[in-house]
Amino acid sequence: MQDLPSDHLQNGDTPSPDEDRQARYRRLFYRFVLLTLVCSVVPLLLVGWGMNIKYNRLGEEQVMTEFRKEVQHHRKVIELFLEEQSDKLALMAATHSRQNFSRPGFLRSTFDLFNKEHWTLTDLGVIDDQGDHLAYVGPYDLLDKNYKDAHWFKMVMEKGLYISDMFMGFRREPHFIIAVRGNDTDGPWTLRATVDTEAFRSLVENVMIGRTGEVFLVNREGIYQTTPRYSGRIMEPAAIDVGEVHPGIRVRQEAADAGFNGERSVRQIVSTAWLETPQWMLVVRQDKDEAFGAENQANFSVLIFLHVTAATILVVTILVTRYMLNLVKRKDAEADALNSQLMQTSKMASIGELSAGVAHEINNPLAIISTEREIVLDAYRRVGDMDAEFGVQLDDSLNQIDVQIKRCKRITHNLLRFSRRTQSVIDTVDINAFIGEVVDLMAREAKSSGISFLEELSPEVPPILSDLSQLQQVFLNLITNAIDAHENKQYGSISIRTNYLEPDGIVEIVVSDTGSGIPEEKLAKIFDPFFTTKPMGRGTGLGLSICYGIIQRLGGEISVKSVVNQGTDFTIRLPLRSPDAQPDSVHAYDQQVEKAA
Amino acid sequence: MMIGSKILLVDDEVIFAKNMSRLLDARGYQSTAVNSGAEAIRELENGNFDVVVLDLKMPGMDGLTTLKEIKKLGLFTQTLMLTGHGSIDSALEAVKLGAYDYLTKPCEIDELTAKIEGAWDKKDDLEKKDIQDKIQKVVESPRDAMRLFSK
Repeated sequence: MQDLPSDHLQNGDTPSPDEDRQARYRRLFYRFVLLTLVCSVVPLLLVGWGMNIKYNRLGEEQVMTEFRKEVQHHRKVIELFLEEQSDKLALMAATHSRQNFSRPGFLRSTFDLFNKEHWTLTDLGVIDDQGDHLAYVGPYDLLDKNYKDAHWFKMVMEKGLYISDMFMGFRREPHFIIAVRGNDTDGPWTLRATVDTEAFRSLVENVMIGRTGEVFLVNREGIYQTTPRYSGRIMEPAAIDVGEVHPGIRVRQEAADAGFNGERSVRQIVSTAWLETPQWMLVVRQDKDEAFGAENQANFSVLIFLHVTAATILVVTILVTRYMLNLVKRKDAEADALNSQLMQTSKMASIGELSAGVAHEINNPLAIISTEREIVLDAYRRVGDMDAEFGVQLDDSLNQIDVQIKRCKRITHNLLRFSRRTQSVIDTVDINAFIGEVVDLMAREAKSSGISFLEELSPEVPPILSDLSQLQQVFLNLITNAIDAHENKQYGSISIRTNYLEPDGIVEIVVSDTGSGIPEEKLAKIFDPFFTTKPMGRGTGLGLSICYGIIQRLGGEISVKSVVNQGTDFTIRLPLRSPDAQPDSVHAYDQQVEKAA
Repeated sequence: MMIGSKILLVDDEVIFAKNMSRLLDARGYQSTAVNSGAEAIRELENGNFDVVVLDLKMPGMDGLTTLKEIKKLGLFTQTLMLTGHGSIDSALEAVKLGAYDYLTKPCEIDELTAKIEGAWDKKDDLEKKDIQDKIQKVVESPRDAMRLFSK
C-alpha cells in the first residue's frame, strides 16, 4: 500500500488487484536490480577505483622519483661544467705569471685552448690588482676598462675564485664571469673569463623535459640567470618563489603561473635544486598532464574498461531481470487462468452435485403427485353422474397438474443433464460440415427474426473425435440465445467462425452475434445454473450451464466476451480428441486423418 | 395386456408404491407393494411374480444389489428399473446386469404399463422357450436310448 500514489489514498480508493500486482512487479524489478548492483557493480567499482587510486599514487611516485633523478643529474652536469671552467682558470693562474699572460699571443693561445673542444668562453682577460687590463682576448673593446670598483673584482680579490651572477657590465648585455686570483712577486692579479651565455643556456637546457617543460636558473634574488622557454627573459625577475637555499632536490606540484606554457596547463610539477657555487637555483618544471601522460593514459583506459564493465553488468542485469519478470508475469497469468478455471470447475461441480441432489429429491414427490393425479383421474372416470361444471373444472385442474408436472420434470431433467456424467458417444465429427447442418436447422427461425448467418469456416480445421449429439445441443442452444439477443432489433447477424490452432491441437469455434450484449457484471455468472438474462418465464437459465457441462466433459473450454448493444462472442475450444474417446474410435480417427492427408 | 399379471412394486417411497399399486390394480394387474429390497426378495421367494418394478435408490439394499439377488433366484420374472434420472448410469448398468428396461420418475402410468407389457412378453417367451427345451430333451432322450438298444 505504501507504494501507491497518494491520490489513491486520498480518494479512499483501494487498488485493483492488477494495479497491486503491477506495483509488486515494479518493486520486484527494483529489488532485483538493486541487489545485483549492490552485490556486483558496487564492489567492482569500489575495488576498481581503490586500485586505480593506489596505482595512480605508485605511478606518480615513480614519475616524481624519475623527475628527481633527472634534476639531480642535471644539477651535477651544470656544477661540473662550472667547476671544470673554474679549475682550468685556477690551474692557468697558478702555473703562469702575469708576465706570461702579458706576452703577445699567449693569452690568445690559452683562450683557443679553452675553446678547443667546445665553445664555452666569450673572452678572457688578465687584470692587475688596480683593476686595469694587462691583456684581453675577445670580441669587445675592453682593454681600457677599469674594474677596481666592480663587485666581482672585489670578491675575487677577497676570495681567490668568484663566479658572478648574470650582469650587464660594460658590454651592455647579460653575461657572467668566472674569475680567479693569481699571485706573483708583483702582487695579486686576476684571470677573468666570460662564459658564453648561449653555450651555457644550451647546457642548462640540455635535459629531457618534453614538449611543455622548461629549465632555467635563478639567483637568490629571483632573477633569471638563463632565458626560460616560456616564462620570461634572462635578468628579468622570475615569478617563481625562491625561498631559502635547501639541500637536495625538492619536487612539488602547484598551479601553473600564467607565463608557463601559455595558460594551457592547470597544474605543473616544479623541481628545484640549489647549485653550490654560485648559489643559483636550478628549476625544472613541466605540465603535470604531460609528465603523467603515460600513467594517465593507462589509468584512463583502466577506468574506461571498469565503467564499461559496470555498465554492461547493469544493462545485462536489467535485461535479465526484465526477462525473469516477464517469465514470472507469464507464470502468474497462467496460474491465474488455471485458478479461475479451477474455481469455475469446482463451482460447477458443486452446483452439479447440488442440482443432482435437488432434482432427484424433487422427482420423488413429483412421481407421487403424478400417481395421485392418475388416481384422481381414474376415480373421475369411474364416477358417471357428476356435476358438469365440477367435471370441467376437475378436468382443467388435472390437465394443469399434468402440465406443471411435465414442466417440473423438464427442469429437473435439465438440471440432471447439466450435472450427470454419462458416457459420451464419441465419433469423428467434421466441425465445418456440422456447423453447416446446425445453421441449416436454425436458418428458418433466424430469418423470421431478421437475422442472417455468416459462416467463416477454415478449411484447415481437421476432423475431431467428439460427441456429435452433445455438440449439437450446445450449438443449438448458443444459436437460440443469439437469436433471442436480437429481440429488440429489426435485423442482425450471427457469425460462426472456425479456426484450427495447430500448435495446441485445438479447434476453435466462435459464435458471434450483433445482439443486445450482456452487461459485464453478469458475464461471470452466465454459466451458472438458473442464471438468465431473459425475461421471467422465457428461460430456465439452464441452457448455458448445460453447454458448459458438455464442453467440459468433451475436454474443451467455453468462454464469453460481450459488449452491451454491440454483441456477444462465445468461443468454444475443443481438443482433437475428447478425453472419452475410446481406443477403437481413436484408431478409426487416425486412419481417417491419414486418408485425408 | 395379460389380465391378472402379478407385479411386485419395490420403492421406499411408501405412498408412491401404494399409489402405483392402486393404479395397476385398477388396470387389471395384481400388484404387491413393498418398501425395501429385502422385502422384495422375501416376496419373490414365497410367491410367483411376472414383473418386478424396482426403484434404484433405496436405503439399505439398493436397487442394483436387489437386482443381483433377484438374478440369483433364477426366476423368469423380469425386472423394470425405476430411476430418479440422476442415477441414469446406474440404470444402464442395471440393464447390463439383466434388467429388462428402465423408466425415469415421474412417469405416467401408461408408460409404465407399456413397459410392464413388454417385460411380461419377454418373461412369457423365456418360459415358453424353457418348456420347449424341456420337451425337446424328453423327446430326444428315448430316441438316444432306442439307438443304443438297436446297436
